[in-house]
Amino acid sequence: MADRRSRSRLRRSGHHNARAAAAQTELSVENRRKSLRSTLAKQRLAVFPDLRNGTPRLMLKRVVQNQPQVSPLAPQISSHEDTQEVHSEVPSKRVSSMGELQLPDVAPEGKSITVFHTTKKRRKLSISEFERAAERRLPQNQAPSTLDSTITARSFRMSVGSLLAPDTVEKRGLLRRPKTRKAVDLQVFEGKVEQNMLNSKGQNYLVDSQSISGIRTSILTSDAEMMMNTTELFVQPQLDEQNQNKFSALEPQQSDSKTTAQRSLISDGDQEEERLEGLVSDVRTNEGRTQRDSKSSSLHDEHVDRMTHISPETRAKQQEEKQDQSPQSNPMAQISFSEEEVAGTPEHGPSAGYSEHLEKKLAEKAELQITTAQDSRGETEMASSAAEELAEGSVGAHGSPGAEHKITNGIGAEGLDRNSHAFSSFDKRGMILLDETDEQGDELQDQAIMLDLNSSVEEPAQDEAEQPASGEASMKTPLFVRAPAKNLLLSMPHVEKVAAPRSPQQLLQPKTVPKRLGPPQRKPREPQIPGSLIKEIFRHFAKMPVTKEAFKIVEKCSERYFKQLSSDLEAYTHHAGRKTVEAADLEVLMRRQGLVTDKMPLNVLIERYLPLEYRKLLIPIAVPVSEGWRWILNLLFSVLLGSQCDTSCFSPS
Amino acid sequence: AGFGGWGERLKAAVHYTVGCLCQEVEEDKDVRFSKQSIAAISEITFRQCGTGCFLILCRHAKRTTVTTEDVKLLTRRSNSLLKYITQKSEELASSNMEQKEKKKKKSSAAKGERTPGEQETAVTENEDSSMA
Repeated sequence: MADRRSRSRLRRSGHHNARAAAAQTELSVENRRKSLRSTLAKQRLAVFPDLRNGTPRLMLKRVVQNQPQVSPLAPQISSHEDTQEVHSEVPSKRVSSMGELQLPDVAPEGKSITVFHTTKKRRKLSISEFERAAERRLPQNQAPSTLDSTITARSFRMSVGSLLAPDTVEKRGLLRRPKTRKAVDLQVFEGKVEQNMLNSKGQNYLVDSQSISGIRTSILTSDAEMMMNTTELFVQPQLDEQNQNKFSALEPQQSDSKTTAQRSLISDGDQEEERLEGLVSDVRTNEGRTQRDSKSSSLHDEHVDRMTHISPETRAKQQEEKQDQSPQSNPMAQISFSEEEVAGTPEHGPSAGYSEHLEKKLAEKAELQITTAQDSRGETEMASSAAEELAEGSVGAHGSPGAEHKITNGIGAEGLDRNSHAFSSFDKRGMILLDETDEQGDELQDQAIMLDLNSSVEEPAQDEAEQPASGEASMKTPLFVRAPAKNLLLSMPHVEKVAAPRSPQQLLQPKTVPKRLGPPQRKPREPQIPGSLIKEIFRHFAKMPVTKEAFKIVEKCSERYFKQLSSDLEAYTHHAGRKTVEAADLEVLMRRQGLVTDKMPLNVLIERYLPLEYRKLLIPIAVPVSEGWRWILNLLFSVLLGSQCDTSCFSPS
Repeated sequence: AGFGGWGERLKAAVHYTVGCLCQEVEEDKDVRFSKQSIAAISEITFRQCGTGCFLILCRHAKRTTVTTEDVKLLTRRSNSLLKYITQKSEELASSNMEQKEKKKKKSSAAKGERTPGEQETAVTENEDSSMA
């Protein structure tokens, strides 16, 4: 088979060479190649007995050796026009149509060469035709017909490159198997990346397979977040399990009196997904940290409310509440986000060892919790550890499932370059917490772990408080992150809270939360894009009625999309060292989206899509004063009259 | 874009490096890379570095040098990748700081060393990003 390919390659190169060289050199080159090939053919005699005489090249060689040289330039076109087609078949059919070749035995040595040149493209030969030709040829040979047919069929197929009919193939050999493309398992990929990273850093902390699997599971959950982040309309089904874990985890955590029944009720994949999406989108809004302080108190209130809500509920109620809470979860997410920041920033300060240690802890816990969660749902297991960890992870967010959702979502989804490593470890922690609480009962069982986590969490908080300015000079991001993090109200309560609840009572967590919360409850809601607008736009483009469920999904997705957009925008603004979003930032955003290219500058898009008054704002136009007033008046009239008039006539001359 | 006569050589160098890295991964994971995939990876890398997000972002920051910040911005989406790159950048920064300390002790010129250190970080960071 390789020989065949080499032969075809040689033939093609021979074609090229022959074109350049004179006829005789061509023939000599061909002869050399043919001799080479003939030796190869001899070696293959046993397998391809017909190749000895069968291939056109070998035949040609015989002809050349036996016949006087004929100039290929002498055009015997008439007789060979017919044979040209035959010769065109020759490269494709290695073994077939010997009969046709025998006709122009004398003349076309050169012709065949030139003909070979013309046949760049191999004519696809039907198998039946080939079989017929092979049958014609077969009686000439002594080889058993069946063996020949299979062999020739195989060689033919290989030469043509067509797929085999499966029943005619005895042995696959070099034939191409049908490509079975596995969908890239993002979770596995992410897991492997994490594993690589952690393994490369040092095996000290991650010796157990447990921890590694824990990391993987945590990564899986973060991968779920990742997959949530990709702007797809349909959340993948494999997320359901983890989402359900998280969702159910969030539920029981809030109140002491969570029942397993509640938890099992919570495991409604669809709604969880929605909530998850909403939470993710909510988390993204955490980018605007300015809101945090104002909302921190409200978050605590919400925690209390949610806790009271959740305790006695039925499934429907819970789900409803969850959906209601999802819009409120933004503040929760913010708090959780701030929590993450707080936890994250200290990591920059301490050595990498500490972070590894934290990771290891998280991994262990995650592994414990996630595996248990996945294995047995609705079973009361180490709920305490999970609950504790969750309480650890986020100050206020522990209270509400929404917040926890946010945490996981935010952790998974959020790609703040500031938090990066710390964030991810915190993320894992949050996920672990979520998963565990999902599965387990209220009671804290694994207090030891919890305490450890408490201590570990407390360290960063304390470090963060103690070393406000001692970031590395090169670590601009930690400094930047630390500065607003310190300003956050929650940072201090977090430190206090971490220090305080050393007692492994989960009950303390919800109790301490309401104490700190102020009066405002649920008042500052995150601004949302109005649902009616989304509905109208979607209906306009769908051109058919849209069900409420579909619209809900569209709303969630668009919410997440815009949240991701705004977080990107904020990152770009911060990247330029500014605090105010400007048109340049938007241009970068649109460039990344592919809307703005070198061929399509921003101004063209502005002129095309924005109403005139916005255009005037964005694109400065110089107008002489004398004309300006008249022109402005014209513009005003045009705007007042609506878009029906052609406003282009009012543009400055 | 602005590579002039170096374009082909650079592309070949990138392709070679990508091939070496893929070979390491092959041995590590016991998988095989087809030629097309390696070519695709190197093409993407080259295009991104040439006329792609890197330049857009660094121009947005009014800089002409691509730094670790640009790389981190681009890897924001993938958490593990972001984590990895941040770790690497931290390690490099710390090692650079040590080198700078040594240099400062040896020579008296303090400012002159800062810029080459940053650029070095940027270059190596880019390599790491391609590696990651």
